[in-house]
Amino acid sequence: MTVNLMEVRDLTKRFTAPGGPFRKARVMHAVNGVGFDLARGRTIGVVGESGCGKSTLARLILRLIEPTSGTVRFDGDDLLAKSAGEMRKLRARMQMVFQDPYSAIDPRYTVARAVTEPFVVQGRTPDPGEIEALLTMVGLNPGLASSFPHQISGGQKQRVGIARALALRPSLLVLDEPTASLDVSVQAQIVSLLEDLRSELGLTYLFISHDLSLVRYFCDEILVMYLGRVVEALPDTDRPARHPYTRTLMESTFAPDPAMRRVIAPLEGEVPSPFDLPPGCAFADRCPNADALCRTDPPALERRGGHPVACHHPL
Amino acid sequence: MTSMTGTAARMMSGFGNTSLGRAFGSILGKVAGGFLVLLLLTAIFAPWITPFDYAAQNLMNGNQPPGWPHLLGTDQFGRDVLSRVIYGARTSLSVSATAIAISITVGMTLGAAAGYFGGLFERCVMTVVDLTWSFPDILIALIFVAIIGPGLTSTTFAIAIAYLAQFTRLTRAQIVRLKRETFIEATINLGAKPHHILLRHLLPNAIAPVIVVGMLAIGDGIVLEATLGFFGLGAQPPTPSWGAMMSSGTAQLFLSPWVIIFPGVVVAVTVIMVNLFGDELIRALDIRDRIRGA
Repeated sequence: MTVNLMEVRDLTKRFTAPGGPFRKARVMHAVNGVGFDLARGRTIGVVGESGCGKSTLARLILRLIEPTSGTVRFDGDDLLAKSAGEMRKLRARMQMVFQDPYSAIDPRYTVARAVTEPFVVQGRTPDPGEIEALLTMVGLNPGLASSFPHQISGGQKQRVGIARALALRPSLLVLDEPTASLDVSVQAQIVSLLEDLRSELGLTYLFISHDLSLVRYFCDEILVMYLGRVVEALPDTDRPARHPYTRTLMESTFAPDPAMRRVIAPLEGEVPSPFDLPPGCAFADRCPNADALCRTDPPALERRGGHPVACHHPL
Repeated sequence: MTSMTGTAARMMSGFGNTSLGRAFGSILGKVAGGFLVLLLLTAIFAPWITPFDYAAQNLMNGNQPPGWPHLLGTDQFGRDVLSRVIYGARTSLSVSATAIAISITVGMTLGAAAGYFGGLFERCVMTVVDLTWSFPDILIALIFVAIIGPGLTSTTFAIAIAYLAQFTRLTRAQIVRLKRETFIEATINLGAKPHHILLRHLLPNAIAPVIVVGMLAIGDGIVLEATLGFFGLGAQPPTPSWGAMMSSGTAQLFLSPWVIIFPGVVVAVTVIMVNLFGDELIRALDIRDRIRGA
């Protein structure tokens, strides 16, 4: 038994839009050389703007899409070397909670059937008590078992999604913005449910979000992504940011107390197209500290004074 | 007694809650649906309700106008038009329904496989299927008649092939749309095999529009069967079919117009009712956009 439940190295995914007689083939760099270690029982948060490759990363490490290159080791096993059949069995141990609870359950399935399905696809017949216990565990009234998705609320749907993910007793749970499409009050309930489950079941989480304050509250470590690359890997949540992008993200969260409000410096410029990455640092055009070196030479993710950061001029 | 009425009421309300029940909810649905149920019962119980033998000739009694005892008159051979129209319902409905059932079965299988597997397989299937669309229905029927001879079998196959492309395309469009839904990815992530995804998620969600379009196609199938029958490619005498009756009626169009009018009216009314009921079914299932999108 290794310490790290998941080890990801140099993971890259390029999507190719095929060319034709009148256009050139275009390559999109969705995820570019991402690596991290996820220790058992820990929670890593992945933050970044929409389109930075967070969700693609989640699907790559679960092998829902095939990476272009790189390695993913799950509990010591090379995931990318597994056959389709081995992969199907292994999926029981690595589950995912999806961003949109509204489309994450088959509209023709009742809650009970949706929660029974994980057992069925893994070739097991659960006893009714097991289903009821699952529903209770995620805070759902077992009386809802015969309801259809359109009869329950968004928060309840997300609880069904969590129950489905936990049915097979996974070790790893990938949470792809599990609260993003829910009301604020419901978000808090789901977050506290996820916290409780983490300590009760000893789960390891990969938590994906664009909400940095939520990630800082919820996670042990933070990976900050920008255009498919990890630009900073914070080993704990109190550490000051050293990458200008992380700094901007942190400063752009609103404080609830008006007295605490400060001037928010919005980012200038646009995110470069992932089809046409600049030769140097992808953030250079928007960075206040960028110089000639930044525009020609991409910075590597290196440990500079404490923790890894991909910047020529860390703060 | 009270409990019995209660049970009956519950059964009724149970039916009222199904999509088919809701299609019967409006006045239009009741009229159209009622007509179709009546037509179906007439076709099934034809031997018991026809006043005369549909094939019994009485040359002394030919070309009688509607009246008693021949309510819709007689044709040139003195055969009872009402009895022939009732038996014609059997031919028309069974040929059309059988053809559409074959078309749906084959079309859904091809469309689901094409939509699910995609790639070169999808392109091959869709090209072949589209090819069948480029031939006029009559031409397809002629090909079958040339191969297996005129009769109801070639009519059935001709109608089945004429509507194959429609069901294949509709199913494929549904599958392609559903495949992108999160619940499919979620189920794959549970470790589900492809057949589980296809049979337990994709097809059950794709079937409703196909059933409705199938229902509407039965109406078109009746017209096509009548057309082929009119040209003498369908039912062979003395088997009555609405189209064939109209065809033989053309000879006496001015002498005894009832021979051609009554089958024509029945074809028209049946097709209108099928379409009205189909529209009500679309409304009840709330799938208008999915049928248009195909």
